[in-house]
Amino acid sequence: MILIMAWRNIWRNPTRSWVVIAAIALGIWAAIFMSGFATGMMNSYVDGAISNIVGHIQIHHPSFQEDKETKYIISELDLLTEEIKNYNNLKAMSLRSIGTGMIASSKGARGIEIQGVDPDSEATVRQLDTKIIDGDYLNVEKRNPILISQRIADKLNVKIRSRVVLTFQDLEGEIISAAFRVNGIFDTKNNQFDEGHAFVLRSDLNRLLGADPNDAHEVGILLSEKEEIKNIVPQWASKFPSTKVEPYYIISPDLQLYESQMSSITMIYLVVILLALIFGIINTMLMTILERLRELGMLMAIGMNKVRVFLMIVLETFMLSFVGVPLGLLLGTLTISYFGQKGLNLSAFSESMQMYGMSDMVYFDLPAATYWQVPLLVGITALMASIYPAIKAIRLKPVEAIRKL
Amino acid sequence: MIIQTKGITKIYNPNKIPVNALNGVDLQIEEGEFTAIVGPSGSGKTTLLNIIGGLDQATQGEVLIKGENISKMPDNQLIDFRKNNIGFVFQAYNLIPVLTAKENVGFVMLLQNRSKEERDQRVLELLQSVGLEDKVNKRPSELSGGQQQRVAVARALAPKPAFILADEPTANLDSVSTNNLLDIMARLNEEEKMTFIFSTHDQRVIDRARRVITLVDGKIASDQVKS
Ligand SMILES: Nc1ncnc2c1ncn2[C@@H]1O[C@H](COP(=O)(O)OP(=O)(O)O)[C@@H](O)[C@H]1O
Ligand SMILES: [Mg+2]
Repeated sequence: MILIMAWRNIWRNPTRSWVVIAAIALGIWAAIFMSGFATGMMNSYVDGAISNIVGHIQIHHPSFQEDKETKYIISELDLLTEEIKNYNNLKAMSLRSIGTGMIASSKGARGIEIQGVDPDSEATVRQLDTKIIDGDYLNVEKRNPILISQRIADKLNVKIRSRVVLTFQDLEGEIISAAFRVNGIFDTKNNQFDEGHAFVLRSDLNRLLGADPNDAHEVGILLSEKEEIKNIVPQWASKFPSTKVEPYYIISPDLQLYESQMSSITMIYLVVILLALIFGIINTMLMTILERLRELGMLMAIGMNKVRVFLMIVLETFMLSFVGVPLGLLLGTLTISYFGQKGLNLSAFSESMQMYGMSDMVYFDLPAATYWQVPLLVGITALMASIYPAIKAIRLKPVEAIRKL
Repeated sequence: MIIQTKGITKIYNPNKIPVNALNGVDLQIEEGEFTAIVGPSGSGKTTLLNIIGGLDQATQGEVLIKGENISKMPDNQLIDFRKNNIGFVFQAYNLIPVLTAKENVGFVMLLQNRSKEERDQRVLELLQSVGLEDKVNKRPSELSGGQQQRVAVARALAPKPAFILADEPTANLDSVSTNNLLDIMARLNEEEKMTFIFSTHDQRVIDRARRVITLVDGKIASDQVKS
């Protein structure tokens, strides 16, 4: 009955209640919109980083990443690649040999990581062939071809067909130099990556390193299902204990950080918005109590105890607050799914976006956690908003309230 | 004896401008009485009923209800005591606006956690006996002033309290409704043996009472029992 009374009490002043309900619904919608936008941006960054740079999984010699020494070649590579190829969620795989050293032209020199790749398989993992802005992708017919980024080309002042010299250590630790010819210039839009990497043929690099033509320092892998990463990584790791199998979020911890932050960002937006709304709710509840002094006095006179009066006010606050929740969630979900499909064009800001490795279009997305965070936070808000009015109500003295007849 | 007051004094605003609302009221009320507290406005009728009903505390003196001293009862206990022992009818704003007549009448019984069957039966019986069986599902705003007061009487009666206190129950009613309400109260007094104590300054109402206690300046000036 208290429940029924509380519910009907909300509708005694429908206009006032609807203002509060609309404010809460709008607040939830705004929080969802902002977090959907932020999540979309982060997804775009994370997905970009995965498809352009890291891939889903990388496999190395256990010591390779620490000092990047060329001697740390992956052992049992044939068995490993056989196993990977038989995995049914495999989308693409690329073998890379890697040397660390210098790239130099007549105009300057820079430190760089040289990746020796097989052009076809590399194109399936990192779509580098689609990022060529001048010249051509790597070509096995040519002699010592190299792909460099636009940024390095600018800094070294070189063009297509220019000669550059790579200097690095071979397997024995000897310093060697070799001339390469620029075959193509790429731009992944991720400046950090572009400034640090150049691509040659794996066969060329292995020959210069003094390694077997088939040797590799790194296996880059893309899966068809991102969610399968956590299942297959430990499987391969235990099968090939002499290698290190790592998912992208271990290799680039910043990516995982971004992903984990997304669920708390809705929280932060909501907390800010609901804090602003809390005073509106308190105010509304105080008004309804002031208007009902006589009635509350009468209720206590005829035997409704303080616990029940308190409960009734708390319930009213809760109901008032929660009517807006499904409304806000619905509006928010609709908005997110619209911008999730159509995307929001941010090309006006593309300069700064690209600096962080993001693309122009943002496809909104919502962390699943939002659907329990919203009711939870609204609940906490309602609880906080109800306490003061409820205390006011039970402090009433029935005689004084009734005297006002 | 269901009500006994011993030397009740009530002083409002003792620290500012004191108002002596009651000056030593000794009163005894027996079961089954149909008693009017009368007196001019400001004579202390409301104050006396509030103190008897446990809504207000006397400055001095004691109130015993069925032998139990309620003068020093803590707030929460007093609320429960009122719920179980005293029926109230006020001058206005008796009913819960968001509940129907039926829900209003059953409200105190609900607070007492009585079963739904028991409630429904009692509520319908009472609404019938106050002549509102066709208004069961109406909200107070859909009822006339007289009908609202009849629902209030039914509500007060529903939990079978020891007595019913009615502070100027007819003050806002026309003479037809006033007579009607008093007929109902008198009949319930007969049929249910319910004790009624009501205040009034309306001569027509005074004429219906079997005992008339007159207050003047917070003192009992006369106490007459009609034969
Ligand atoms: N809350 C209060 N504060 C101060 N004085 C009061 C208060 N309530 C009643 N009084 C005074 O007490 C006296 C008795 O009032 P009341 O019991 O309401 O009389 P009645 O009901 O007979 O009109 C009046 O003089 C009134 O002004
Ligand atoms: Mg009065």
